[in-house]
Amino acid sequence: MGYLNAIIILGGINIIAALGVAIITGYTGLFTIGHAGFMALGGYACAILVTTFHVPFAIALIIGGLFAGLCSFIIGVPAFRSQLRGDYFAIATLGLSEAIRLILNTTYKVVGGAFGFMGMSNLTTVPVVVIAVILALFFAHMFVTSQYGKNCIAISQDEVAAQMMGVNLLRTKLIALFISAFYAGVAGGLMGFYMAYLSPSFFTITRSSDLLAAVVFGGIQSLIGPTITAFVLVAVPELLRVFSEWRLIVYGLLFVIIMLFRPQGLLGYVEMNFAFARRWWNAVFTPHQAKQGTIKGDQ
Amino acid sequence: MSDSIFAMKNVSSEEISLKNLSVQFGGVRAVDNFSMTLYPGELVGLIGPNGAGKTTVFNLITNYIKPTSGEIFFMGKSLLGKSPDEICRMGISRTFQNIRLFPQMTAYENVELGLHNVPHYSLLEAFVRTPRARRAEAETRKRALELLEMVNLKDFAGERASSLPYGLQRRLELARAMATSPTLLLLDEPAAGMNEDECNELVKLIRQIHEHMKYTIIMIEHHMNVVMELCKNSRIYVLNLGSLLAVGSPKEIQTNPQVIKAYLGERKHARYNSNAGSQ
Amino acid sequence: MDLFLQQVVSGISIGAIYSLLAVGYALVYSVYNFTNWAFDAFMAFGAFMAFYAISSFFLPFWVAAIISILLAIGMAVSTEKLAYRSLRLRKAPRLFMMISAMGANLAIVNLLNLFFGGQFRRFPVENIGTFSMGQVSVGRMDVLAGIISFGVLGLLWVFLYRTKPGLGIRASSIDILTASLMGINNDAVAFIIFAVTGVLSSVAGIFYGIKYAVYPTMGIVTIKAMIASIVGGLGSLPAAVVGSMLLGILETLVAGYISSTYRDLFSFLFLVIILLFFPNGLMGKSSDEKL
Repeated sequence: MGYLNAIIILGGINIIAALGVAIITGYTGLFTIGHAGFMALGGYACAILVTTFHVPFAIALIIGGLFAGLCSFIIGVPAFRSQLRGDYFAIATLGLSEAIRLILNTTYKVVGGAFGFMGMSNLTTVPVVVIAVILALFFAHMFVTSQYGKNCIAISQDEVAAQMMGVNLLRTKLIALFISAFYAGVAGGLMGFYMAYLSPSFFTITRSSDLLAAVVFGGIQSLIGPTITAFVLVAVPELLRVFSEWRLIVYGLLFVIIMLFRPQGLLGYVEMNFAFARRWWNAVFTPHQAKQGTIKGDQ
Repeated sequence: MSDSIFAMKNVSSEEISLKNLSVQFGGVRAVDNFSMTLYPGELVGLIGPNGAGKTTVFNLITNYIKPTSGEIFFMGKSLLGKSPDEICRMGISRTFQNIRLFPQMTAYENVELGLHNVPHYSLLEAFVRTPRARRAEAETRKRALELLEMVNLKDFAGERASSLPYGLQRRLELARAMATSPTLLLLDEPAAGMNEDECNELVKLIRQIHEHMKYTIIMIEHHMNVVMELCKNSRIYVLNLGSLLAVGSPKEIQTNPQVIKAYLGERKHARYNSNAGSQ
Repeated sequence: MDLFLQQVVSGISIGAIYSLLAVGYALVYSVYNFTNWAFDAFMAFGAFMAFYAISSFFLPFWVAAIISILLAIGMAVSTEKLAYRSLRLRKAPRLFMMISAMGANLAIVNLLNLFFGGQFRRFPVENIGTFSMGQVSVGRMDVLAGIISFGVLGLLWVFLYRTKPGLGIRASSIDILTASLMGINNDAVAFIIFAVTGVLSSVAGIFYGIKYAVYPTMGIVTIKAMIASIVGGLGSLPAAVVGSMLLGILETLVAGYISSTYRDLFSFLFLVIILLFFPNGLMGKSSDEKL
């Protein structure tokens, strides 16, 4: 039972962080390999708030997420201002996450340095994680189907055209990055209160690669795909310990193979809003109804 | 030669004016001292041989490229230093020579994007979708379908843009450009790659849109029939090697020896004249 | 003043290694417009090959270096063939190229880890000592690294600007489609470019291994080279060298005067600050897509 709980909790945490990556990489088309850094920011902030300032766990999680979101602007503003260069952003995310790890590793005063931050109780239980995942999915869905989310999708498809059609690139990307970092921060907070301690070694580039893997395998422009793969990627290696040495090798090869043969991933472009329902609606749609403006295709 | 046209208009109401615009790439002057003034509701053509700098003029207006010197005024305001998205929101929209739709989005979503380039509700409302947000979305949806209807693409609303035939993609781009509610529309070779029937249909469509929506339009086009037809009551600017070669009514342009020489080359001169005569 | 000079000399030698890597990024970027994330794997691979050629097969340093370079060329060219080529041909979005490159990187680095183990290894060359210039003592290996690095870059310059294939590559970097229409073989260009990155990564890997250690994730240092090429201006080779030297010298100064733990933090802050004030890098120009 304990083992199953562990899988559900770690899988759920991975889902929330992966949803963050899905928003920025899957929907906005910005490659990130540094989301572990945002997890660390949220995790440590949440841990300090609860243990030192006795803030209620739920509120600390949200503040931790907001903190990660605000910190994302450190790279978001300089990287997005130089337009059309997704590469800058990718390198900046990697740089930021390494910088965060370095600071945490060498600052012994507040955050415990390389020994890690200890003294948290086990507040992240299965019900907490399940509720958090449901909320995370719901709000992610609301965002990506909103006009904000659609602007993000347009940017991922053709940045120049989106700008020429009046979309403010900097603002739209910063919003997506903020939300994405918020998700990662909340996931980090949940993780700290499951493990009962936090260590800089939790938040290496390997974790960032794992999150990216969930999105690449699950599918570009999909929430449900990364949700499934984020869970499976936690559950399967836990079940098959032998596999662990080969895990990243297989991930890497799958990245290449998926990009070559099925770049949309497992469920790319499949949305929870049932796009097929809209297509069906369009098929039976008559011009007469259009004038009344009663299209409910995606509701 | 076009003085008569200018004289009829009130100078203070000019929609857009380019003043001595130049841009240099390395040592090449892609646009050289180009000036142009349009009044509200005009539809003018911009023609010239390949590499004459026509698209560069559009890129300058939308500030995708920064001019080396010169000024651009739109409704009395300078466009220099404004970002392309700001310029679009001020009321200038464009289409692209090589179609640039959002390929994985449906035709409907492509048009919708132009309508909500600035979302109609706050970010917090997006997360909970308040009634106000839902009303705004319904309004957007209605407007998007109207625009699709206007370009006869209603039946393709749910199709992925990349799966549409070429001609329809061009029309979809037009609808998307209209969605940003512009007053000035820049059409970059709308008839490129179309056969004669499609061209005729396009002429009809553009004229309809122009009359109906009261847009000011600048159109780059290689199909002479299309330009001559659409601009028959206005004027055509001819660019060559980045500078203005001639401006005037289609008649004046067709008979301008300099234009014929630069545009068609010496050898085609005779053939072109016989074509023009038969029209 | 002595400390200052000492740090500058040391910074130049590390800057030279960064230059090799940064030029490798810039070269691929200038033609294909994407960051070759697998580059750090090539570097680690090159270092490992040289390491085992010396420690297991007892080959002399120069022979080992040549073998390592040849194997790194093979690795780089086959990665291009397997992971990038078909994406490039069907003009896949840049995101896909980056993900594929990241995948190749993950696979190669973790294969090295699996086969050779993750421990740090001292590169098996004898310490050739230091010599002093006035008050400053200079490592002979640092000088060698600097000379060879700049020698390699000089050869690359001659190749690009004084030979016909080089002209083809420069033409491709301006407009790859037109270049191919003018009869330049795109596949040959890709082969040459990735072969060059193989050479650069291997040489950098060997000298970095000598300076620090050989281990599978040693390629993480290439993030410095990426930063350097962005600071200089992405896609331009001279800018990459300038950025690298600047970063190498500045970060060694930070290490010397403040603390070596903040060296890496500094390079990241440097990137953020440069991007804030020079959105296209120090020498870069904005790369406009043709509409």
